[in-house]
Amino acid sequence: MSLARRPGRSLGRVIGRAIGRVIGPVALVLGVGLATALGLSEPARAQVSPPAPVAAGLVARGEFLYSEECQTCHQADGGGELSMGIPSLHGVGAAAVDFYLSTGRMPEANLTRQAPRKPVSVDPADRAALIAYITTTWPGGPPIPMIDIAGGDLASGGDLFRTNCAACHGAVGAGAALAHGAFAPSLHKANPLQVAEAIRVGPGNMPVFDATTLTDVQVADIVTYVEYLHHPDDRGGAGLGHTGPIAEGLVGLLIGVAGSVGIATWVGHRTEPADLADSEPADLADSEPADLADSEPAELAEPADEELAHD
Amino acid sequence: MTDGPPLLDGDSDEPSLRLRGTERAIALGFMVATLAALGLAVLYALGGQPQLEGVLLALTLGGIGFGIAGWGKYLMPNGPFVQAREPLASTAAEREHFAVTFERGSEDIGRRRFLRRLLGGAATALGIALLFPIRSLGPNPGDSLSHTSWTPGARAVDVNGDPVQVDDIAVGGIETVFPEGHAGDASAQTLLIRVSDEPVVTRPGRESWSPAGYLAFSKVCTHAGCPVGLYQHRTEQLLCPCHQSLFDVLEGCRPVFGPAPRALPQLPLMLDADGYVVAQSDYREPIGPAFWNRS
Amino acid sequence: MSDAPEPSGGEPVRHGPGWRTARWFDDRLHASDFARRSLDKIFPDHWSFMLGEIAMYSFVVLLVTGLYLTFFYVPSLSPVIYHGSYAPLRGLSMSQAYESTINLSFQVRAGLVMRQMHHWAAIVFIGAMVVHLARVFFTGAFRRPRELNWVVGVSMLILGLVNGFAGYSLPDDLLSGTGLRIMYSILESIPIGGTWLAFLIFGGPYPSQDIISRLYVIHILIVPALIALLLGSHLAIMWHQKHTQFAGRGRTETNVVGVPMWPTFAAKSVGFMFMIAGVIAALGGLAQINPVWLYGPYQPYQVSSASQPDWYMGWLEGALRIFPNWEVHAFGHSIGNVFFPAVLLPGITFGLLFTWPWLEARFTKDRDTHHILDRPRNAPVRTAMGVAAIIFYSVLFAAGGTDIIATTVNASENSIVWFLRGAVFVLPVLGGYIAYRLCNELAAASAGRRRAPGVIVRGPGGGYEEAGPAAEPPAATGTGGD
Repeated sequence: MSLARRPGRSLGRVIGRAIGRVIGPVALVLGVGLATALGLSEPARAQVSPPAPVAAGLVARGEFLYSEECQTCHQADGGGELSMGIPSLHGVGAAAVDFYLSTGRMPEANLTRQAPRKPVSVDPADRAALIAYITTTWPGGPPIPMIDIAGGDLASGGDLFRTNCAACHGAVGAGAALAHGAFAPSLHKANPLQVAEAIRVGPGNMPVFDATTLTDVQVADIVTYVEYLHHPDDRGGAGLGHTGPIAEGLVGLLIGVAGSVGIATWVGHRTEPADLADSEPADLADSEPADLADSEPAELAEPADEELAHD
Repeated sequence: MTDGPPLLDGDSDEPSLRLRGTERAIALGFMVATLAALGLAVLYALGGQPQLEGVLLALTLGGIGFGIAGWGKYLMPNGPFVQAREPLASTAAEREHFAVTFERGSEDIGRRRFLRRLLGGAATALGIALLFPIRSLGPNPGDSLSHTSWTPGARAVDVNGDPVQVDDIAVGGIETVFPEGHAGDASAQTLLIRVSDEPVVTRPGRESWSPAGYLAFSKVCTHAGCPVGLYQHRTEQLLCPCHQSLFDVLEGCRPVFGPAPRALPQLPLMLDADGYVVAQSDYREPIGPAFWNRS
Repeated sequence: MSDAPEPSGGEPVRHGPGWRTARWFDDRLHASDFARRSLDKIFPDHWSFMLGEIAMYSFVVLLVTGLYLTFFYVPSLSPVIYHGSYAPLRGLSMSQAYESTINLSFQVRAGLVMRQMHHWAAIVFIGAMVVHLARVFFTGAFRRPRELNWVVGVSMLILGLVNGFAGYSLPDDLLSGTGLRIMYSILESIPIGGTWLAFLIFGGPYPSQDIISRLYVIHILIVPALIALLLGSHLAIMWHQKHTQFAGRGRTETNVVGVPMWPTFAAKSVGFMFMIAGVIAALGGLAQINPVWLYGPYQPYQVSSASQPDWYMGWLEGALRIFPNWEVHAFGHSIGNVFFPAVLLPGITFGLLFTWPWLEARFTKDRDTHHILDRPRNAPVRTAMGVAAIIFYSVLFAAGGTDIIATTVNASENSIVWFLRGAVFVLPVLGGYIAYRLCNELAAASAGRRRAPGVIVRGPGGGYEEAGPAAEPPAATGTGGD
């Protein structure tokens, strides 16, 4: 970067170039630094949590709650304990925290099984505090999604659901078992925000569908369809749990066939004690072959002749 | 009613189950059936409703059935009556008569052995010839089961035909992809899974198959052909929903539980100059369940 | 029918139109004698002899409702865009087969009830055949001279299974389409000719464009015609040989005790038909079955968890799930894993079923004619083997729902599979043994019918013993009670 005057160049231009040569790199460094500070360390996720201006009080409350409810498992540094199946909270994102807390899955003391949905024990205000604390202390991860389900396309959502979701959650969202005790939960209690959060977060064994895999519009469509599945069109009658042919088979056999057999016991004859009385093997020995000679077709014809005579 | 088969000794022909209200019950059955049938007609005219249609139809049919069956059970003679069984085997005389009649007709046929053999040959040839049109039912399988529509350099596209860029899927994400131009192709359906940012080697010899941590496996289960749709991203396993075969993704979808006998074939991937995920070639083995000529 | 008895005297009498019609037919067919013998025919009418009628009358409901459905269903895989009244499918591409099924369910008045009655009737039809087969088996009614009718009956059971599978595959929905793919793989796995068989039946590689229209012809024409033919033979043989009966007062090997066809048996039977139809109608309106609009149209790259076939295929599904992942690769050829549970197992099953009358006759050396039925307790070996078989196929049926069991009892799917792999061998043996012992106990109790069953008393020393005559089991023969 020689600032030496060259023949044919004005001083002004030289100074200008010098400033440019200094300011450029400095600007670059400042810019990168700022961007880094703002953008912060990102895992390979396409979305960034904007640094929302949170009240300092909220974060402090969140820190307090964290130490009370979460620290025992997730550790003070938020790193968790992977060997015990406790995930790290670094860069999980607001969506994940909101999802787990609003479905009651967290706090969870039982480490031996997949955390099930249960009654919520953290109220919304405390939830907001925890989100604020976690996302400020360990930034990164998907933010709480903004979805517009009023504009969601039911048909498109159904098609997307069947391609991406039905394999685990079932065509009607009733949930299903996965391997080794894991399960894909039923979707019938999930509200729209929770569904959208789960799609973006990929909680537990659920795959991660980020904005380039499923756009916000597609997520809105899926959420609309899941809402519909809470009260699907059961115009055929009792839904039988929407579990399919097994329930239908049991109903068909236990009500249809067994009921028909029951009706048969009414219509038909039932063995009465009188039928069995005196039917010792000796009785059967009395029906000797000679008896057969007595009942030739000619005999049966005789009464018929008499009938005809009467007519 | 006293003509016909005699009653069993000691039984009377009086319907012993005659109850005072029986006739009324049967009548009620018929009346309910009539009303229900009329209701059915009205319901249909008004637009119909499945549950009511079913109930009214059940009442109609059940009412008629109850009435008729009750009539038979309580009001008609129940005996029991006795009738003889004739022996089912024919008498020797009957058999002899049949044999004589048959032989009378077949004697000529029996003597002409040569003609009979020729007729048999002709009939057999006709039977075989008639089987040939069955061949028109379908094409020769050939080796079509050993290939899919993936070709070297084919871009991976989703079901809408949009190609997959290297940054499109997050780590832990999955998408169903097809070769470009064949979106929706049943045998080419492939699972594209992003297990990490860095290439992953599933088995020796596959070092170059997973650029940027993308792994691609045939979605057609090697057990009975169902789409292997369940991806457990925490345990990095694929579960087939039909018969619960479990595949270990990082070990090349080796089956670890269930009835699937072989690993899901892996599609070798690479990135093209524009950062799209493309196939290096077709699958190196036939996809899906085994068949006779699959060595 | 106002029939006035002919007075002796030769005066002309007026006969009603019914009498005149009957006379018209009789003049041309010489029907009177046959008709009289038919009307006089005595039928034993024990309730357990009506189980076959449940199947027969369900078949009638299937024919009537099925005929109605054929006027609306379109057996074509040509794609079409849905513009009907069910919003969650509007605008989606689907086959005409699926679309016509949706229209039948949403836009045709009474269409859904007809569709559901048809499907429920199929469930009841096959269930009734199985129950009827069990009754015939446990009472030994398949013995000479009824081996032929047994074979006819087992054939109808197989045809019922085939037609049920074909029928529920016709709507081309996601659930049944998954089953079609599995069926294709099963055909492929057959050694030597399997690939050809799959290509010929389906018309090419999977998915083919022809399979639905071919299944349609099989479902509405070929199999129903075969069943009708076999049913006619089944009834004719039974009519000619006369029905069996239980041992009892006045009942011998050379007579039939029961009610006459006219009017009693006809009334009971026709009444029963209406009541069975009523049960099916109630199910058809009140219990939803196969809601294909919730499953979505079939796409070969989509699948739903908890996919099961209809109940009567459940034993095959269970066999597929719990069979170990063995496969044969030798000399450049493979026998696919699914061949063993899905081809070999049903082959052995139906092979044993078909040949049972001869197998039993050979083992018991009993080749006599039997018109008196066994009580199950008097044939302990047969009963035990039947119970073991029922338990075996029931365990397989349970295995068809391992994922649903896992969700219901909150257990690991994998543990359930292992448990069932053991149970499928242990439970039938256990159950068969218990059944055998029970038969001997019951037979001993009822052999002396007026004798009280063993009474347990406590002795002065504190021990328990049986009072009264000691119950000795009869000599265990394959059959008894004659």
